[in-house]
Amino acid sequence: MTILGTALGLVFYLLQVVSGESGYAENGDFDDAELDDYSFSCYSQLEVNGSQHLLTCAFDDPDINSTNLEFEICGALLDVNCLSFNKLQEMYFIKTKKFLLIGDSEICVKLERKSMTCRKMNIVKIVKPEAPFDVRVIYREAANDFVVTFNTSHLRKKYVKELMHEVAYRQEKKENNWMHVNLSSTKLMLLQRNLQPDAMYEIKVRSIPDTNYFEGFWSEWSPSFHFRTPETSIRGQMDPVALTISILSFFSVALVVILACVLWKKRIKPMVWPSLPDHKKTLEQLCKKPKKNLNVSFNPESFLDCQIHKVDGIQARDEAEGFLQDPLPSQPEESEKRRLREGMQGPNWPSEHPVFTPKTFIGESPFRCLAGNISVCDAPVLPSSRSPDCREGGKNGPLVHQDLLLGPGTTNSTLPSPFPFQSGILTLNPAAQGQPTLTSLGSSQEEAYVTMSSFYQNQ
Amino acid sequence: MFHVSFRYIFGIPPLILVLLPVASSDCDIGGKDGRVYQNVLMISIDDLDSMIDFDSNCLNNESNFFKKHSCGDNKEASFLYRAARKLKQFPKMNNSEDFNFHLSRVSQGTLQLLNCSSKVKGRKPPSLGEAQPTKNLEENKSVKEQKKLNDLCFLKILLQKIKTCWNKILRGAKEH
Repeated sequence: MTILGTALGLVFYLLQVVSGESGYAENGDFDDAELDDYSFSCYSQLEVNGSQHLLTCAFDDPDINSTNLEFEICGALLDVNCLSFNKLQEMYFIKTKKFLLIGDSEICVKLERKSMTCRKMNIVKIVKPEAPFDVRVIYREAANDFVVTFNTSHLRKKYVKELMHEVAYRQEKKENNWMHVNLSSTKLMLLQRNLQPDAMYEIKVRSIPDTNYFEGFWSEWSPSFHFRTPETSIRGQMDPVALTISILSFFSVALVVILACVLWKKRIKPMVWPSLPDHKKTLEQLCKKPKKNLNVSFNPESFLDCQIHKVDGIQARDEAEGFLQDPLPSQPEESEKRRLREGMQGPNWPSEHPVFTPKTFIGESPFRCLAGNISVCDAPVLPSSRSPDCREGGKNGPLVHQDLLLGPGTTNSTLPSPFPFQSGILTLNPAAQGQPTLTSLGSSQEEAYVTMSSFYQNQ
Repeated sequence: MFHVSFRYIFGIPPLILVLLPVASSDCDIGGKDGRVYQNVLMISIDDLDSMIDFDSNCLNNESNFFKKHSCGDNKEASFLYRAARKLKQFPKMNNSEDFNFHLSRVSQGTLQLLNCSSKVKGRKPPSLGEAQPTKNLEENKSVKEQKKLNDLCFLKILLQKIKTCWNKILRGAKEH
């Protein structure tokens, strides 16, 4: 029986203990829930009013009945053990200079002097800075950026001096699209190219302690500042001087390109890449054309219609003299002399060449031409200016040409002396049609006088 | 030979035991990283120094306190402890509220960082000075003023020495 009673007592006792742990009390209240209702959070603000500090606490549950509840802080105080909070609506605060700022304090919620809940806090670890103010945005057209400046009261404080600031800005049309920038100074540069032109922006700032000793929470946001970015036209305007210079440069380059394309073949390429001269063409260009229709060419085919008479022999000197002593009409002789002069003073005839009469002719003729046949044989090369013009050769009739070559006594000679002044006199018969006839002077066929004018006239 | 060994056995260990307290520090100091000193204590010391306006004559006033206590090697913590306890006497000098709060912060904050042995704590805190017998009210007033000036002068020097000692501690902590 005793054992049974003991057992029952134990059972009831266990039931009571278990029910008590589960939260069921006699009055129906939930003890654990009451403890949870008194949860609170606090933050401190140092030197908020001169050297006075502010500590603010509030319950996490806004619906709690805080009529008889009080807050008290103990520890880490100067010259006192504990301080009581003041109540303002649902907030509890204390303004004092008596914070030691070293070590932990204990903050308790008291109900009729009975501590309901306590929390250990360090005043320097729950610092909430004051909100920045006086946010300004200035546009710099020269630098194409926006200078953001703001002020904070912590610049003049002794304890919490170093803060980390956060600048948030957004375009007003785009909600919740905030851009964030962190900085430790109170000045920020926003580049114009990162913002939309001709748009309205909103910007605000907040702070948090950034020292190795003071820690805490973000401050409240500063009052927002609104600014408008400039329009695109202003942004896209170029300097008029630079614009003019760029247009002129463009047209200059285009003109140079066009001229280069047009004058490439005629002017530029021959200068840049000159062609190797052809000696034959060069020689032809160097020749002076005495007459318009003078055919100067090294091509034998161009002389197909020319009558080439072979000079077989050149008569001897004596025969030439004998020929000259034969009675000849003086007038024809004079006319011949005149014609000689004329012939010799042809368009291709340098005037400075003296006329040599047969009398002055001395020496053998290197020409060996047969009578009736004239050809350029064994004759040295004459200058190209003396090349025969087959079409004009026969116009002037038979002439007695004298040797053109100059002796050593002559001056002002521009023509080379291909051979010594010795040749026969070559006479041409005007009666022949296009065919100059050779009449040997006297008996000598070895001596003949060939003149350039005969080539002109006979052709 | 035998008496020589007795000398080493019975002579040297007691000598070590006697000298050990002299060589060791009576207090341990916290906050050697310098954060508490640089962010709280140094600010109050500088404010107090700016509040005390004295001429150079104050430097010539050598107190017995400084003759007895100095920030020697391995004695920094004990010196700070004694200096902090000395500072506790000054709030009663009828100064401004901010002055007293700064004074209390330096004193109380230093003591909170120190962990001294009971031997050091049990010593009687040094007094500022003995009261001089006065003849009449005027003389009493002048004596009080002179005492106040002397105390402020002593305080100025004490604050400088506290600052120097803290710098020495932090310098030694950086080297280690």
